[in-house]
Amino acid sequence: MEDALKYSLADFFLTDSKNVLEPPADFEEWMREPSVKVGFSFYEQKLLAAPRSSTEILSNVDGQRRRVINLMSYNYLGLSTHPEVIEAAIEGLKKYGLGASGAPLLSGTYDLHVEFARRLAEFKGKEDCILFSSGLGGNLGAIQGLLRKGDALIMDEKCHKSLVDGGTLAGAKMFLFRHNDAAHLDELLAKNAGKRILVVVEGVYSMDGDLAKLPEIVAVCERYPDAAIYIDEAHSSLMFGKTGRGVAEHFNLEDKIGISFGTLSKSFGGVGGFICSNARIIRYLKGYSSPFHFSCSPSPVVVAGLMKALEVATRDSSLRDKLWANTKYFKEKLDTLRLDLGDTESQVIPIIIGASGEMLYEMAASMQTKGLFLQPVDFPAVPAESRRFRISMSAQLTKEEMDEALNIIEDVVAKGMRTAGLIGK
Amino acid sequence: MTRDEVIAVIKRNILDNLEDLDEGSIDPEKSMKDLGANSLDIIEVVSCSMRELNIKIPRTELADVKTIGQLADKFMEQIGK
Repeated sequence: MEDALKYSLADFFLTDSKNVLEPPADFEEWMREPSVKVGFSFYEQKLLAAPRSSTEILSNVDGQRRRVINLMSYNYLGLSTHPEVIEAAIEGLKKYGLGASGAPLLSGTYDLHVEFARRLAEFKGKEDCILFSSGLGGNLGAIQGLLRKGDALIMDEKCHKSLVDGGTLAGAKMFLFRHNDAAHLDELLAKNAGKRILVVVEGVYSMDGDLAKLPEIVAVCERYPDAAIYIDEAHSSLMFGKTGRGVAEHFNLEDKIGISFGTLSKSFGGVGGFICSNARIIRYLKGYSSPFHFSCSPSPVVVAGLMKALEVATRDSSLRDKLWANTKYFKEKLDTLRLDLGDTESQVIPIIIGASGEMLYEMAASMQTKGLFLQPVDFPAVPAESRRFRISMSAQLTKEEMDEALNIIEDVVAKGMRTAGLIGK
Repeated sequence: MTRDEVIAVIKRNILDNLEDLDEGSIDPEKSMKDLGANSLDIIEVVSCSMRELNIKIPRTELADVKTIGQLADKFMEQIGK
């Protein structure tokens, strides 16, 4: 195939194959290209140990087992591997068994689920909470459960796929406003005045690490009394705000947020999602949100661990203080390398390489063989002109691990970009 | 195939994917965003048009296309190959 590297997964969505068990012929041809195989070899590499700041992988680059410093996992606060969390999960397993064995309405609601939901609502300062078995299910289920044909879903253009898919399922008309552009949001709100409107933003945007410009967005929304605000705090819960409640707390705007979403797979260290809002809408949502209604309840083992994770993360500020100290240290060092970190304001730090996919994958392979697990993020997940590495900082990282990671980044990325004339000396 | 015929294909896909439009309101010098399309609508229109014209252009090469006319020009380059 000519120019195979110019193609991406964005180019093979439509198919002319006659049989649903046959992928598109051009997709198969593309996947056979050696250069494309190299790119895909980075995905689904096997981790052989827990997502700690140092872990072990089975590398697809050279087939070797390798100890690596881990800048990839979402284990931002180290709670996935916290000894108290592990102990609580073991106790949960002994008491309740592995799975809930039922959907929430009939037999899948345990005392553990009710208590955890109550604590999450209390933590977020909302009346009630609904739990989902996955984060994607939570976002998708909230949008699908609340919006109907004729409603307007107005989202920041960088919102997650789970929110877009929720809008598609709901049949609502979707409008995407330019990233963090309150004036464009205002235009779209004016155009949809009179409809039921849900405005959706993320606390921290997952590919860029910047925050929602919540004060400006809230100010615009307040001019439209029927526009409700939904915030996805997937990458900000337990980390932002004085008590860790998220970006809405950070901006002191929690009372303006109608619906607050969070995942349980990132800072919480488990898996799942949750929505906090007023008790009446949570009651309604339980009746209409398919990922809640028609899915087995979250595993009691995970919920037992998550309950402890919430306690550990909120009993004092030590974990998030450590995360922010690590993030500050790491960013300052990266800044001295003159790398393009975009507009990051959080523990998610992109290193933007530019348009060259070849350079991105060469650097990723080189860093991995030197002992750093930092995966390439390619188009269409990010714009084609700003392919990147995306660092997930963690409270677990030691200074020695950070210094070693920085040495590898300097040696591979900074030197490579200087040689290519993409950054100054 | 002429440029006008290519524009006609794009217009038909715009009408299929966007509400509240008539053919006369689709000016090739405008962008699909001007017509109220969001980025998901644009992907749908572009993909369906390319399929109909039996051409394939990587999405990465369409990033700088602003107007419907510019999209037709990109399509014409490929049709001419």
